[in-house]
Amino acid sequence: MSSTTHAIHYEKKHLPASAGTLGWGVLIAGLAVAGASFAMDPMRAKYSSIMLFMFLAGVGICSLFMVSIEYLAGAVWSTPLRRVFEILASSLLFLPLFALPILPFMQELYLWTHKTDDILARKAAYLNQPFFLIRLALILGIWILFYKLFTGRSYKQDETRDQDLTRKNVKLSAVFIPVFGISITALSIDFLMSLEPHWFSTMFGVNFFAGSLVAALGVITITVILLNENGYLVKGIIGDHYYSLGFGMFAGCVFWTYTAFSQGMLIWYANLPEETPWFLNRWEGSWKVITIALLLVHFIGPLFGLIQRKNKRNPSRMIFMAAWVIFAHVLDLYWIVVPVFQPEGPSLRLTEFGFIAIAIGFLIVLVTQQAKKKNLVAVGDPKLQRGLAFRL
Amino acid sequence: MQVANRPSSDALNSDGTIKDFAVEPSVVLKSPSLHDLTEVISRPIEAKATLKWYIALAVSASLLMLEMVCWGISFYYGSGMWGNNIPVAWAFPIVNFVFWIGIGHAGTLISAILFLFRQKWRNGIARFAEGMTIFAVMCAGLFPLFHTGRPWLPLYLMPYPNKHAVWVNFLSPLVWDVFAVSTYFTVSLFFWYTGLIPDFATLRDRTLGKDLISKIKKSVYSVLSLGWRFSNRHWRHYERVYLILAGLSTPLVLSVHTIVSFDFAVSGLPGWHTTIFPPYFVAGAIFSGFAMVVTVLVFIRYIFDMQHLITVETLEKMNKIILLTGTIVGYAYGMEFFIAWYSGNLIEQFTFINRAFGPYAWAYWIMISCNVISPQMFWFRKLRRSVPIMFVISIFVNIGMWFERYVITVTSLARDFLPSSWGWYNPTLVDFGLLLGSFGMFFTLTLLFVKFMPVVSIAEIKSVMDEAKPSHHGGDH
Repeated sequence: MSSTTHAIHYEKKHLPASAGTLGWGVLIAGLAVAGASFAMDPMRAKYSSIMLFMFLAGVGICSLFMVSIEYLAGAVWSTPLRRVFEILASSLLFLPLFALPILPFMQELYLWTHKTDDILARKAAYLNQPFFLIRLALILGIWILFYKLFTGRSYKQDETRDQDLTRKNVKLSAVFIPVFGISITALSIDFLMSLEPHWFSTMFGVNFFAGSLVAALGVITITVILLNENGYLVKGIIGDHYYSLGFGMFAGCVFWTYTAFSQGMLIWYANLPEETPWFLNRWEGSWKVITIALLLVHFIGPLFGLIQRKNKRNPSRMIFMAAWVIFAHVLDLYWIVVPVFQPEGPSLRLTEFGFIAIAIGFLIVLVTQQAKKKNLVAVGDPKLQRGLAFRL
Repeated sequence: MQVANRPSSDALNSDGTIKDFAVEPSVVLKSPSLHDLTEVISRPIEAKATLKWYIALAVSASLLMLEMVCWGISFYYGSGMWGNNIPVAWAFPIVNFVFWIGIGHAGTLISAILFLFRQKWRNGIARFAEGMTIFAVMCAGLFPLFHTGRPWLPLYLMPYPNKHAVWVNFLSPLVWDVFAVSTYFTVSLFFWYTGLIPDFATLRDRTLGKDLISKIKKSVYSVLSLGWRFSNRHWRHYERVYLILAGLSTPLVLSVHTIVSFDFAVSGLPGWHTTIFPPYFVAGAIFSGFAMVVTVLVFIRYIFDMQHLITVETLEKMNKIILLTGTIVGYAYGMEFFIAWYSGNLIEQFTFINRAFGPYAWAYWIMISCNVISPQMFWFRKLRRSVPIMFVISIFVNIGMWFERYVITVTSLARDFLPSSWGWYNPTLVDFGLLLGSFGMFFTLTLLFVKFMPVVSIAEIKSVMDEAKPSHHGGDH
């Protein structure tokens, strides 16, 4: 059980205070706008809370998914970056806070809470408020538990360099994957699909997973590149590592399109009255523009932007494409949530930007706060040296 | 780079657990020299065929004859010789078609997708899996051809202007199938052949005999190797082409079974129409394809003494993928059942309850126990690494995946919306003959392949040896 033979030159540096200040500033401004919106334009603020919660839930859990998949597949390219995944996954700890603004308004947001008919009566065993809350508590609780277990061992390894910690996390990952699959599906059905409780699609959970993975990789990419280009990570993280993140975003976008197309095409083709309304609502008025834009932004853009190797190795182009795919996922969430409340067509107010500011500010604060306490590289990981030697 | 140069035995313990994460485990064991590798892989081709090979060929060729007889019957008397009848108008032929197309997915997944993911362990098994893909697609293709009822008019499946004004119905996913499967077959064949070119050149150079047979062999290998001379320029072009073909094949792996799933899912029939079908079918196809590769590789590595090339570690990784895809298939079964209930649609609910507890419940539970329960054994490392156990489970998986298609096709058709039109499906002897015979065709082609072509890629396996690592220096070659 020998440890790595030569030292890795990681020197813990503190992020500039201005980064933290910026994060807090954006976060507070966003909170102020959102707070005012709850008073002035309450419905918009309420459904925006759903989007914010589902965005952060997706980014958090898919970051943890990236951690687990590294252990499970024995990947090495991502080892030097894994600490960033772990830091972003710590947003899971704050998810209960982001779920709170939704819960008091469930009566207004979810039709099934107060109306019933023949069909809704048949699903009442699943769609009822107590069970909804139990599921939410269970899902968030399990996610936080897995987060604690994974990262607890990873941080401990910084000190002890004990390979048994990696071994334990490999086993934990195998348990995590099926739990992850079921829980992310349940969360997407509960918060998004049940907004239109008569509609159903077996693909919905897979589609939400694909979109969230893309967004998580986008956030990871921006964070990694900003930290690494400014010298906060370890020497040796190069274009080949960026390439792999870009590869993931590309594959994720194509997979998302695959699931979205399969869902849309099959429903269009079979043309059954119980399935088509969901798409018809999004094909009416100016929503049609958003539907087409979603295809262009979530598929065509990343397809051409990320297919070239030189783009995936270039830091500034990667940041641009990462921001692009994050926007694509936000647009996807918007397209799922907002037509329920604004069937006449999309409209933007300051409220939406306030919620976007909360997400951005929150993620910056999260990274800067975590960076104060923790190493930004998993220095004790036995695969770190191999990860830095990774070449295409 | 001292780390990478440490002996690879440092990476793993003998029970397959990881000893040191800092060392990259090697794909090939016993560190043979590059020449040894060429020798081991070429031996089955150059040595005389063994009695065992002849016996195996006799058995599978007999089954192939059975298939030919059954196709002859189907051709002469028509598809009325099958058990297909209203309401179950789709039965064994479609089930067999989907089954074989599914088997044909592992090859391209291993050679293309795992290549793009830089999984080095694929290099030992890619060639064989690709070959298997091509044979499986050939087995599959015959079924829809005969199912058209007029197998002598396949050209009408192509949209070309003709004076009969026969035009294909582009709205039918069955037509999409024609394009998807033929494209997949063509690209897989090219991909396979491209990989074979350097190996054909190796075989050409090794064929030195002066007798007539050797001369014929040498000229055949020369033609097939397209003048390959192992020059640097050849390799550079080759690697470029290989990468591009891998990129092109990747969407094809997904598209073929996606479109096969559309055959069912575009309809309004309960049990066929559900949006998760495309990825669920693709996962199922990879699942069954990997199982078939494991089934056959277990023998090949033993018969040809290739345990150090196709290692237990490689098989273990394949078993992990079987566990993963089996669990994805289980997720899809669960999701279908849940959404059937959640939809509140009574007909949809009836279909699924009928599947699990109706007259075809036996088929449903065979499917569940083989596809979802049996791969769960692979959670345990000991079972994952035990050759007899993986052999048995891989057979179970193939049985289960055949029954999955049977359950989907037959149960939904046998009992649809109107109880007055319900029926029952009875396969005929010809149906069974075709099913059994298609295995004969598959194994005959496989046996011929392992006799005349290198079953492991000589060039690719060398690229995962220590000598190929940029950190390798010194040594005696």
